[in-house]
Amino acid sequence: MPVATIPRRKARRVRLVSNAKFVSGVALVIFFILVVAAHPIFRATIWDGEFTVYDPFIGYDTQVVHPAGPSADHWLGTDSLGRDVVSMFTFSARYSVAVALSAGLATAVVCLVLGSIAAYRRGWVDSVVTHVSDAMVFLPALLAVYIIGVGSDLRAFSALDVGITFGFLYGLGPATATVRAAALSVMERPFIDAARLAGAGMGRTVTRHLLPHLVPHAAVQAMIGVAGAVTAEAFLAFRSGVGANIGFGYLVFEGLTWGELFAGVLDTPWWVMITGAAGITLLAGAFYLIGVGLREIFDPHSLDPRRVD
Amino acid sequence: MSLVETSEAAPRRARFPWIVVFLSRRAAWALITLAIYLMVVFVFIQVWVPFNFATPALQGGIEAYRAALESLGLDRPLSERLFEFVGGLIRGDLGTSFTGQPVWDLISDTAPVTIFVFAVGALLAFVAGEAMGRFGAWHRHPVTGSALSTIGVLFTTIFPPFLVFLIAFFLRDPFWELREAIGLPVDSLDVWRDAAVEQNEVLLLMSLAFLGAVVAGVLVRTWAHRQRARWVAAMAIPVTIIAAAAGIWLAGFGVEAIDLLYRSDISQTVATGSPLLVLVGVVLITFGQVMFIMRVGIEDQRNEDYVLTARAKGLAESAVRDRHVARNALAPTIAGSFLALPTVIAGMVIIEFGLEVRGLSWAFFNAVETQDIPTIMGVLVILGVMGILLRVAADVAIAHLDPRLRRT
Repeated sequence: MPVATIPRRKARRVRLVSNAKFVSGVALVIFFILVVAAHPIFRATIWDGEFTVYDPFIGYDTQVVHPAGPSADHWLGTDSLGRDVVSMFTFSARYSVAVALSAGLATAVVCLVLGSIAAYRRGWVDSVVTHVSDAMVFLPALLAVYIIGVGSDLRAFSALDVGITFGFLYGLGPATATVRAAALSVMERPFIDAARLAGAGMGRTVTRHLLPHLVPHAAVQAMIGVAGAVTAEAFLAFRSGVGANIGFGYLVFEGLTWGELFAGVLDTPWWVMITGAAGITLLAGAFYLIGVGLREIFDPHSLDPRRVD
Repeated sequence: MSLVETSEAAPRRARFPWIVVFLSRRAAWALITLAIYLMVVFVFIQVWVPFNFATPALQGGIEAYRAALESLGLDRPLSERLFEFVGGLIRGDLGTSFTGQPVWDLISDTAPVTIFVFAVGALLAFVAGEAMGRFGAWHRHPVTGSALSTIGVLFTTIFPPFLVFLIAFFLRDPFWELREAIGLPVDSLDVWRDAAVEQNEVLLLMSLAFLGAVVAGVLVRTWAHRQRARWVAAMAIPVTIIAAAAGIWLAGFGVEAIDLLYRSDISQTVATGSPLLVLVGVVLITFGQVMFIMRVGIEDQRNEDYVLTARAKGLAESAVRDRHVARNALAPTIAGSFLALPTVIAGMVIIEFGLEVRGLSWAFFNAVETQDIPTIMGVLVILGVMGILLRVAADVAIAHLDPRLRRT
């Protein structure tokens, strides 16, 4: 074994850049940010002046029979109502990305706050946090979000709300369980004692000394949570199945129902369905890959029940 | 994990076998977790979610609305409803659905197929993911490794309704052709006309037989490894599973068991979906998550000193991988796989519903659409109980693997 000559932090950065999962995940996220940006850009350039054809809600091309397969005018074809699929796809992406951002933030905040407080205070606070997160693992956030979505007015339960709710529920469960375990082992390290001896209170110890070590663990959990949140939002759009609020899930819904109602399965407008399904899987997969890549590098021990706390 | 800390205080003499002490501790943990889970479900459904089942009655004026609230018990204070919920659960009563049917009847009608899919599917997915993670990480073959990663990510994050479409489109027809090929009557009524058993009994028996066979197989394998009986060890699990299947066949309801893989509920006139295809879906969305966790474990263990020792004493590479590294990586993989449980349960419910199997998900989606609060709570309670039982079983498995964990 050669003695490591580069500092640990830099070595981790190098390993991160050479981790195929992390890099491809980041590339996919950048791709989706470009997709979100593409909609206004296309509207201003190649679709300029053709509002009635390329609008994601009311567009209709009178030149072709709908649903139409991919062509030069409609790169991904049109749906059964005559709307351009590229336009719908680029427009829907903004909802999914909004869900991803809000869910990631909510998960990270919840698990960092609860995990660090539980590890700092120990005692009854810790056991309450642990038991609640143990129990929350068994409540699937997707089903919970679905129950809320059906029980409330869909317009009032926007993409941001879906993300925050999902992130909160997921963060309380698996995320807090993992981050709390990591926080316990950080609290055993000598620099925490040193900080306390130097007179640091709870606020300073937690924010300056504990939290920085927990960020990678929280990032892993947030990324894996985001993957679920993207699916959850798509599932809500899929189940509600109204054109008023289009999303990736709505595209899948449309492709499927058209195939079931009006034709055989073979005549399903597969380009609509595949576009939606690929959008969901690639976006969710991007965050999942980032999460898995980060986990391989930053906390390989986080799942080990034998770790010394 | 406060149970862990208290138990470390005093080393105790081994008065009972470890499994008794261990199981009683885990049972205490399970009861506490279940109690908190029930509270969470109650608060979530009764306080957070703005359900209002009585809204349709508003059309009949405010009096009709009040009458509807009263008849559904929604006008009573929250504390009273909580007492009734908890009291009912202690008596084993899940309440009455807004449709008038006891929730327990609805659930015991639909749960066996879900239990079958969940128990068998989770186990198969774990075995598949563990094997793929082990081979993928250990051999570091560039093409195979990234191919496995890609497939794993794609299936883990696939949109469940789309997976339902793929399964129905590609697998349903070949699966039914297979049924004709083995000579089973196409009409399930022909199979069940003279059957002496209920289909739910057969489903539960199949789940239990499979799980029991796997447990017995693992025990035999461990014993055979100690006796250095290599062939016995390798054959143990397949043989016990085949023995369980043969047992079901010899008991006289093999045909019924196979028919149940095709139709979840023969009492329905419409051809309902196939539990086996749901099981395939559950395995597909689950194995990737296990695989990635196993990979981290293998990568983490491969540079340990004991690997060098094992190689130095001339062990075959496969023995180093399977008997030493994989065994050490297994405990964190089992523990870590539990964090994937919410995704798996949610995916299972969606796939089961999409493939039109009359399981718990059918009860769940119907209840959510009609805002039938007692049934939703009942389904969530049962899902939670299933998860907690699986967790306790997995804890026992981890302790079986690693004696150091038996004290906790």
